[in-house]
Amino acid sequence: MKRVAYYKGCLASLSAKELDTSTQALAPRVGLELVELESVTCCGAGDIHEAEPDYYLHLNARILAYAEATGCDTLMTVCNVCTLNLRQANFMLQGDESLLDRVNENLKSVGVPVYTGSVEVRHLLWEIAEGDGYEQLKTAAHKGLKGLKVAPFYGCQILRPSKIMGFEDPDRPWSLERIIEACGGEAIDYPAKIKCCGFPIIQAREETAMGELIQPVEQALEAGADVMVTPCPLCHLSLDAWQQKLEAATGRSFKLPVLHLAQLVGVAAGLEESELKFKRHIVDPRPALDRLQV
Amino acid sequence: MQVAMKIWRYDAATGERALREYEIDAPEEATLLDCLDIVKDKVDGTLAYRKSCRMMICGSCGMRMDGAAVLACKTRMFDVAKEGRVPVISAMGNLPIVRDLVVDMDPFWEKFKAMKPYLQPGYDRPEDGREYRITQERMNAVKKEALCINCGCCVSECNAMESDPEFLGPQALAKGFRFVGDPRDAATVERLEQYSGEHGIWECTRCFFCNERCPKGVDPRDAIAKLGAEAIRTGIDRDMGAKHAKWFVRSTETTGWLRETELVPKTQGVVSSIKQMKFALNLIKHNKAGLAFPPHVAANVDEARRLRRLVLAQGRLGSAGHIQGERALAKLEHGHHDGGDPYGPGSFPKPYLPEDTE
Repeated sequence: MKRVAYYKGCLASLSAKELDTSTQALAPRVGLELVELESVTCCGAGDIHEAEPDYYLHLNARILAYAEATGCDTLMTVCNVCTLNLRQANFMLQGDESLLDRVNENLKSVGVPVYTGSVEVRHLLWEIAEGDGYEQLKTAAHKGLKGLKVAPFYGCQILRPSKIMGFEDPDRPWSLERIIEACGGEAIDYPAKIKCCGFPIIQAREETAMGELIQPVEQALEAGADVMVTPCPLCHLSLDAWQQKLEAATGRSFKLPVLHLAQLVGVAAGLEESELKFKRHIVDPRPALDRLQV
Repeated sequence: MQVAMKIWRYDAATGERALREYEIDAPEEATLLDCLDIVKDKVDGTLAYRKSCRMMICGSCGMRMDGAAVLACKTRMFDVAKEGRVPVISAMGNLPIVRDLVVDMDPFWEKFKAMKPYLQPGYDRPEDGREYRITQERMNAVKKEALCINCGCCVSECNAMESDPEFLGPQALAKGFRFVGDPRDAATVERLEQYSGEHGIWECTRCFFCNERCPKGVDPRDAIAKLGAEAIRTGIDRDMGAKHAKWFVRSTETTGWLRETELVPKTQGVVSSIKQMKFALNLIKHNKAGLAFPPHVAANVDEARRLRRLVLAQGRLGSAGHIQGERALAKLEHGHHDGGDPYGPGSFPKPYLPEDTE
């Protein structure tokens, strides 16, 4: 078992609770022991980075400090945006001693443990796409996916900027495909899998966001996908919930079910509905899974 | 070395498009631009592309290789040839194609000019009548943005501009920060007002393609974040994007976590939110929205609140908060570790190729 500090972030705590329950249920089967963090807050989701960048750095330093205090080497995320925000702040602190000193002085004065810079921020995707996690995944996914055609959707902030993410080629990523195949699914290929779902501006510039969102939905269906899978709950929210607005705007029917990564692997690993919580989705994935008796 | 490549040829007069394969003999140190020169000299004199300095200064030779915008003069072909790959070369995206690899840069320059890319007079002139001198430290604030060579590689890949061609885009906005961040410029407020318009700062979708593709390390997305920080610091925050960003700050101070349900009215206003009621009710039906009861509050959230007050008092406001991290981030290099990809070069999964979409 690999002990990791588990940072669930905002969405998995509230509107995407199904991501949290499926991650918690899946973790021990892929060799991960999750240490929950009590005193952490939102990472700022790129919004605080934009509005008040100095506060963003301190807020993320605080999360990193509490993760370090658990004794774990890894802070595991389940959201692209959290991953980028935390990794970026971590590199800022690790690469500049005087900045780290200043931030630590501030953390100390409000009663937060100091951060030495020893934590690595990694997404669940990376934990199970290679190494021990991948080996355990192959055993855990004993029920398989019976050739289910799965469209991988990466989203932006797990791939770019590659100098901060650095796990795989941002133009030719492979991790989701490898996991889909290890689970017995068939990975569908389509160009928009590395593009933006529009979520960051879906409230402030809905029309522009919808012009982005339609691409992966349309292309995945054209390529024959039964379902889509994404490592990001924000992408999930736009792809699943805003799909009904796409349908209203275009007069077309898409009905593309979108699964969280932990849910897709969870299906192959035989998790219960009480853990997967598919009824929380706007587009119900169960008919597509039932059709193939997955 | 033998270099093979496929080039998208295009004739605007006839609208004809064709993918042609070329194979040439090139020296091992050849760049993509050198290879195109050889094709033009020895194989097909009708091939059209832009070039000038051949040393990453002029910004003329932006184009796409395997779907990704590059400067042809910066792209060495040795590894590609050694792997036996046959890359697809095409014109940049988000700009109309004139012929083959040449795009019409007029829309690009129009947005560039709209930013008023020159110092606006009105700053305090030194009393001794000599030149206005500023410290290195203050100039460092715009160091990255000043590196831009206007090649268009960022614009080519911008996902927001693909959806809304009127979006000012990464190049223009990065140029905007180059002047907003310059202490000699006297039009900061006017600029921030203008750049906060419908197609400005808050239309950026944060896809980070611009940072990934920029051949000069400008990191346009970071420049847009700096503009956002300066706009909010200056109180130019009427845009829904600014309100959205400020709600995250408020949320972390009060409950620690994003107060999701209130985000829509806080961003769009109450009237607009009521229009979203049908959509919202469907979300509530699936437990995707609604008020958490008891409220979801992080332990020791007062620490976050006190941290915010503390750092605000320390005065690294606005873009200064971004700039303090640049020294550390500059040590990182773009790329990825090798060895993880189980599929090998050229095999599944396929790269994002224009031939798949056009």
